Amino acid sequence: MSDIKTLAIEKLNELNPEYPELIEDIVVANKKIYLSLKTDKAKVDKFTKIKLQIEKELAAIDGIDSVSVSLTSHSDAIQAKAIPQENASGVSEVRNIISVASGKGGVGKSTTSINLAIAINQLGFSVGLLDADVYGPSIPKLVGDRQKPKKSKAGKILPIKKYNISLMSIGFLVPEDSPMIWRGPMVISAVNQMLNDVEWGKLDYLVVDMPPGTGDVQLTMAQRVPMSGAVIVSTPQDLALIDARKGIEMFKKVNIPILGIIENMSTFICPNCKNESHIFGFEGAKLEANNQKVDFLGDIPLEIDLRECSDNGKPIILSKTDSVVSKKFLEIAKSVTKKVGDESSSSKPNIIIN
Amino acid sequence: MIPENIILSENKKELTLEYGATKSVMSAEFLRVNSPSAEVKGHSPAQKKTVSGKRAVSINSIELVGNYAIKLIFDDGHATGIYTWQYLQELFKGKDKIWKDYISELRKKGLNRD
Repeated sequence: MSDIKTLAIEKLNELNPEYPELIEDIVVANKKIYLSLKTDKAKVDKFTKIKLQIEKELAAIDGIDSVSVSLTSHSDAIQAKAIPQENASGVSEVRNIISVASGKGGVGKSTTSINLAIAINQLGFSVGLLDADVYGPSIPKLVGDRQKPKKSKAGKILPIKKYNISLMSIGFLVPEDSPMIWRGPMVISAVNQMLNDVEWGKLDYLVVDMPPGTGDVQLTMAQRVPMSGAVIVSTPQDLALIDARKGIEMFKKVNIPILGIIENMSTFICPNCKNESHIFGFEGAKLEANNQKVDFLGDIPLEIDLRECSDNGKPIILSKTDSVVSKKFLEIAKSVTKKVGDESSSSKPNIIIN
Repeated sequence: MIPENIILSENKKELTLEYGATKSVMSAEFLRVNSPSAEVKGHSPAQKKTVSGKRAVSINSIELVGNYAIKLIFDDGHATGIYTWQYLQELFKGKDKIWKDYISELRKKGLNRD
């Protein structure tokens, strides 16, 4: 470990002979370098640049996974520098991150995610959509686009722009039929890459389409980015609701506010006889929302149009703007954005190192 | 409850969490020996280790973990403890008893703080 420390200090010396003098403390642990630099408060901008430069340089050292540089100032304890969460650099300019999750698979998370993202955009916000379902990415199909993402000059991956939404999915990077046969650590690094190495830029909202379950991806997302809230999608049937409950519990454990539940496939109206059938049960998700004391955001009926639009790669909210489903999605987008506005005031703490 | 400010003292041996007007102050040693990490707690109560000799330990760095916790990086290289807001509050509330138990455990095992 001490070798890496020496190497790091040498590297700093190479960059600028003055840098080693700035070192207040340097620790190497678990393949990470923690470095604190003496900072002149009046030149925060300059030091922020130095910090980025050093982080980049030291991250290149063999056997080092990441580098965390903090700036400390001694001159005035009260105005000590607060360290923001700097793990997920690619989403640093995203104002709100919302995850769409379910617990159970096949309840329509991805369809909900894309339509919700577009609906939020129609309310006048800039929106991105991250498909975090690494094993079963659906977003490329749902938007009918499989172009390969391009790289920016800085070497970051540029999101695909479609329907005015910035999109990223593992599905844009691998052929449609090839399965991801990955163990947990690979999944985690893929998710980290989609957060860190994608140039999301300035966004009001980033909607994250979560994979089903309560596993690696969910935990990584919860730890790496400060999420504004989670939307739970469920069908009204008991089987789905049991898993939805687990999803809710998971988000509670990691302190992510539940924005509410959406009931998908709530009812089916026969196009021929206009008879209404409750294929998956009646108002199950609504009752569950009541039991769990979370908001009920709305119900989306089972409609042939919704399925057809999804399969054709043109989300229903754009292709059938007057449909019941489209109106419902807009309503849901309104309540979600309003709730996020309410919740985000209870934001994150300041870390002050004197 | 999420603290508004998390303050590390100048000598890096004391962590203060501010919740509005209320404050909780804990020493680096106390936090280190009660780290929630599996390295300390094990995966069952029977696996719990008694960490000794940490009187001089200090905190090098603090990282936010999502919305729910902080990770404390100690100068002895321990960096795997994720302290949730809830756990920090439990530690602070039970501070006196937890500390007393820790001291008697050290004695029982023939260990000490230095």
